Amino acid sequence: MTSLRIKGFEVRTDRLYDLVHHMWVKDVGDGRVRIGMDSLGVETSGTLAHLSAVAVGTVVSRGEPFGSLEAEKYVGPLVAPLSGTIVAVNDEVFSDPRKVESDPYESGWMIEMETADLAAERGGMIEGNDAIARRFAEKVTEYRLEGVLAE
Amino acid sequence: MDSTKSLRVIDFGRVSGLRSQTLWHAIAHGVSSGAPPTLSFMQPDESYVSIGYHRGIDELNPHNELPVYRRMVGGGPVYVDDGQYFFQIVVPLAMAPARRGDAIRTLLEPAVEAFNDVGISATLDARNEVVVGDRKICGHAAGQISGSVVVVGNLITRFDHLAAASIVRAPSEVAREEFLAQMRRYVLATPADSGLFLEAATRRYGERLGLGAEPGTLTDEERDQLDVFDTLFVDPEWVDGLSTHQNGMWRAKVKSGVWVGSATCDGHRVTASFHDDEIKEVRVEGPDGTFEEMDQLLAALAANPPI
Repeated sequence: MTSLRIKGFEVRTDRLYDLVHHMWVKDVGDGRVRIGMDSLGVETSGTLAHLSAVAVGTVVSRGEPFGSLEAEKYVGPLVAPLSGTIVAVNDEVFSDPRKVESDPYESGWMIEMETADLAAERGGMIEGNDAIARRFAEKVTEYRLEGVLAE
Repeated sequence: MDSTKSLRVIDFGRVSGLRSQTLWHAIAHGVSSGAPPTLSFMQPDESYVSIGYHRGIDELNPHNELPVYRRMVGGGPVYVDDGQYFFQIVVPLAMAPARRGDAIRTLLEPAVEAFNDVGISATLDARNEVVVGDRKICGHAAGQISGSVVVVGNLITRFDHLAAASIVRAPSEVAREEFLAQMRRYVLATPADSGLFLEAATRRYGERLGLGAEPGTLTDEERDQLDVFDTLFVDPEWVDGLSTHQNGMWRAKVKSGVWVGSATCDGHRVTASFHDDEIKEVRVEGPDGTFEEMDQLLAALAANPPI
């Protein structure tokens, strides 16, 4: 596992990223991937009050919600970064969403999915040290220019 | 209507409690599908309880006999009646700031200006509450529904604090009394002409969004979607929603930063009100004598505010 600090935000390079929805995807073997929220997603969400997820066994397509979050009375979707079947939900995180804020890349994982063809799904995501560092930095810059993040 | 340059304004007038929820959910789907950004207004003609998307039905008073509708936006259970005049601003996702708190603030600021236009000295505080002084005057909630962002709020021309305090499940009468006392202290009705508020809000939202306001109606697609929501919102499975995690403590929010909490230990119940992490009132129920664990219980309550 390699951890980088990009313009004040931690990013792990041992996984894939969907930077549109700020989700990370980590291959945990046997066709399963673990999914969570990246540090920019945590920052732009505000203090998480509630999380919910669809039931284990649900088939979700890439771009569709697999659950929802609530912060500051704002409810928004948790968007699946790839297609597959949900095989596990991190109950601890859904009981106490603060764990996502305190440890988004490890104990703050949200769900595990089985995906039929991870190789095919990788194309829509960002991976590799250089690409992750560059695209994450671009996103931070974009958010700062838009006023989404403080300087 | 040019959907890229117009702010559709729909005044639904008085509607049923159910429709006061389902209409704007249907609009959210319409805006997601290309209908213009929309500002809508309505006044429910009956009392009901509205509960936030993630909140448990077990937070409600089991003796509640009012209809309950679960909304797709956030916040806790609230009492609604015809003394509350509602507005909803619905914009495509791309028009709202990416940071959720900023989206709420950006989409509430024109309403605050409208409150001022009709003579109410409202401000938007640091916690995104619309207040006069330190008293909340507008209940609001927000969310992303399909591909649009919705912020809902109300002009409270009359507020029944007792009814509002009665809809929540309270662990004791003392806790309910304290909740009611804090509601009376911190929730304020601001009687104003709803027609004037509609005009002011229309002007302010149009200016803020850079869109010309035009009266409109629901699209055919939105009418179809309205039927879907009319059915969904009375489905017991939808109303019951999700289970909650209360950690053995009861918490009830009055406004951001102000809440009442209650918990038991060794046969005593401790109820306290909290203002920005400070303990303001403490009431203890139980047998006479020293209750040495009270400090720990208060600390535990203070560490678990409702969010």
